[in-house]
Amino acid sequence: MQEAPSWDLVLKRNSIERLKREKFPLDILAEIPQLAAQGYERISEEDIVRLQWYGLYHDKPKIGTFMMRVKIPNGILSPQGLRTIGTIALTYGRNSGELTTRQNIQLHWLRLETIPEIFATLERVGLTTVCGCGDTVRNITGCPVAGLEPNELFDTTPVVTAAARFFAGNREYSDLPRKHKITIAACPAQCNAPELNCVALVGVKKVDPAGEHLGFAVRVGGGQASTPRLSRHLGVFVDLSEAIAVLRAILDVWKSDPRYRLSRVKARLKFMIDDYGPAALRALVEERLGRKLTDLPQLPLPNGDTDHLGIHAQKQAGLCYVGFPVSLGLMTGEQMIRLADIVEDYGGDIRLTRQQNFILTYIPTARLAEIIDRVAAIGFPLDVNHIRARSIACTGEPFCNFSVTPTKSKLEEILTHLERTFGRAVESLTINLDGCPHACAHHWTGDIGLQGTTGRGPTGEKLEAFDIILRGGLGAEASIGKPLLRRVPSAHVARYLERLVRAYLTRGQAGESFKAFCDRHSDEELHAIATAGAVATDTSPPERESVGAALS
Amino acid sequence: MEERHILDELEAGELAIEFDDREPQDVIRWALECFGRRLAICTSFQADGLVIIDMAWRIDPNVRVFTIDTGRLPQETYEMIDRVRAKYGIALEVHVPETRQVEAMVRRHGANLFYHEVPLRLLCCQVRKVLPLRRVLSQLDAWITGLRRDQWATRSNIRKIELDHDHGGIVKINPLADWTEEEVWDYIRTFDVPYHPLYDRGYTSIGCAPCTRAIQPGEDPRAGRWWWERGAPKECGMHCAIETGGFEHELEAILGHNGHPHA
Repeated sequence: MQEAPSWDLVLKRNSIERLKREKFPLDILAEIPQLAAQGYERISEEDIVRLQWYGLYHDKPKIGTFMMRVKIPNGILSPQGLRTIGTIALTYGRNSGELTTRQNIQLHWLRLETIPEIFATLERVGLTTVCGCGDTVRNITGCPVAGLEPNELFDTTPVVTAAARFFAGNREYSDLPRKHKITIAACPAQCNAPELNCVALVGVKKVDPAGEHLGFAVRVGGGQASTPRLSRHLGVFVDLSEAIAVLRAILDVWKSDPRYRLSRVKARLKFMIDDYGPAALRALVEERLGRKLTDLPQLPLPNGDTDHLGIHAQKQAGLCYVGFPVSLGLMTGEQMIRLADIVEDYGGDIRLTRQQNFILTYIPTARLAEIIDRVAAIGFPLDVNHIRARSIACTGEPFCNFSVTPTKSKLEEILTHLERTFGRAVESLTINLDGCPHACAHHWTGDIGLQGTTGRGPTGEKLEAFDIILRGGLGAEASIGKPLLRRVPSAHVARYLERLVRAYLTRGQAGESFKAFCDRHSDEELHAIATAGAVATDTSPPERESVGAALS
Repeated sequence: MEERHILDELEAGELAIEFDDREPQDVIRWALECFGRRLAICTSFQADGLVIIDMAWRIDPNVRVFTIDTGRLPQETYEMIDRVRAKYGIALEVHVPETRQVEAMVRRHGANLFYHEVPLRLLCCQVRKVLPLRRVLSQLDAWITGLRRDQWATRSNIRKIELDHDHGGIVKINPLADWTEEEVWDYIRTFDVPYHPLYDRGYTSIGCAPCTRAIQPGEDPRAGRWWWERGAPKECGMHCAIETGGFEHELEAILGHNGHPHA
């Protein structure tokens, strides 16, 4: 490992570290009215970066409107909260809204002069955007049916709520080397993707001679982008009462090491885990805590369905929760308001899922049919092919400045094609589609991952294309997929997927998952299946040998 | 189709981590070995670009270097072309805009269209700079730039090796990503690297003659380029070199998807 750099060098090399010290980003809040008054174009680019600490990002093009990320800890939202967000979208944001994989809601088209009013409105219903983006603890996610699901180990919502309250706007933890993602759940299916988070607290029951203890296993160092890592087992058991202390200690160890501040490219916690390994990190965490942590040899295994779709009995007698698919994760402000009306009418809440769907809770069994009908009437029918509910696409075009391809519209095209070709037979598949390498829609771990990229046509012209990633998965099948078909021209993607899916449906063994089918076939075989022998642009398997040779 | 060596996202991602702590010369050496004649250095004769040329030339005197002659460059830049040729013996590749497109643009909007409104300035950048660059890059597998993280907040995430999705997913190499301005000038002094004379006259950015100017000490560096504009896209001012790619995104968003000039 490299020697730790001096803080002087960090400040010299890293303009974001400089910017955070010149004016602490959380202090930008008081200046927003003044920034708005002086006009967008007079705002310094440093201040635009600081606005991220309040969940604000440029829309595209960067000429004065913003995306706003409203944090919903554990995805649990009251009908008043949903109505408020919907009203903001309708009033200030061209009626547009989207659900995210971190259980947030994002709005677009907001102008800076409306932001102070919007923040005040959100505050009145207990919502915030603080630390929605920037080098902070992002929205803390969890199992959306925590506290309701009869099979859960225990209810983790008090822990999530306490952690969210502790970290949001906490200055000590809002100058991290980079963003930090925490998830906490005791869902038997581990529906919250603990593999993909920087830190995951996974509910576990520890049995020893002294009795049974409820608490958490800890996973560290997950992350995606173009350097995907699955989080690793820290090897410890953490008592419920220690959860926040351990989360803090991990953050303290990471944020105080200047090695992870020199370069933004290597700043995420996953790179610290690469360098140290879980055992050495555990020792550092214990040193911070001033005590040893209890050993936990095994991570708890996930079991069950991660989607929470459809009708389920709650642990509360006579009540149900119902998971509704949301097409492409899109929900207009108007739909939010009408949904809030329905929920308020019978007195439940709304839970947002990692798969960009929502769950309505506390529905009296006797009113199920009526409520399902009413929700269908505002555009969320319950009975749709589950491939539509499970698959996700990132924000992408037209909003995101990073995306190089359309995303949600491309996913819609692919889903329509597969549904028309195979009907309900594709119900169990998950497609994760991203418009750039950042992997907001987790393309490394879908049954089929797609990453927008570009290729070149016969005369060198730019071509919209996708990498197709196979063999990825989460839960019991957790692994980072492999980009087996590279730079497939956009127009060919649906047909390639059709061939792969057809091969799986007709030649897969009984009970075999799509991933297992892909694992059982060689790179060349999958390549041949997808292309049906035809050669498109640059779809040859990666030439790893030459790159490896150059590296050594 | 010719078999070409282009990295995929995973390879580029891991290589960027591998090389993040390494010296610029290591990165350049790797790039030259990996891509050979399918690689070229892009320079607009800013200080960073000259450092890259000097470093690469010491590794391989036959390294390819190209520049875009927009037709509106200051005389001093043309002098730099000849100084680089003389000092390094490099047959600098100078690419010019399509005659037909420039003619059509000027016929329709005039010679100094950029002073009138932002979309016309973007159109001029597009015709004179971006399209020629695209044309050059369409024939390459990799290019080297002098982009640095410390230049601007929005450049803080630049990787030393990355896929360039603005140009067909070829490889973009930024060996000086973690260098500071001080290190650049130290290198220039130590190795007696030729540098653009306009720096000594108060320029902080080297570009087209009508669109850049000297600034006074203490003046906002943004006053050095497109100082007359109101309502230009963020990050598309002073620090939006075409090498970042951000510029092309804005062009597409404002001028239309293909960004082709409606001449």
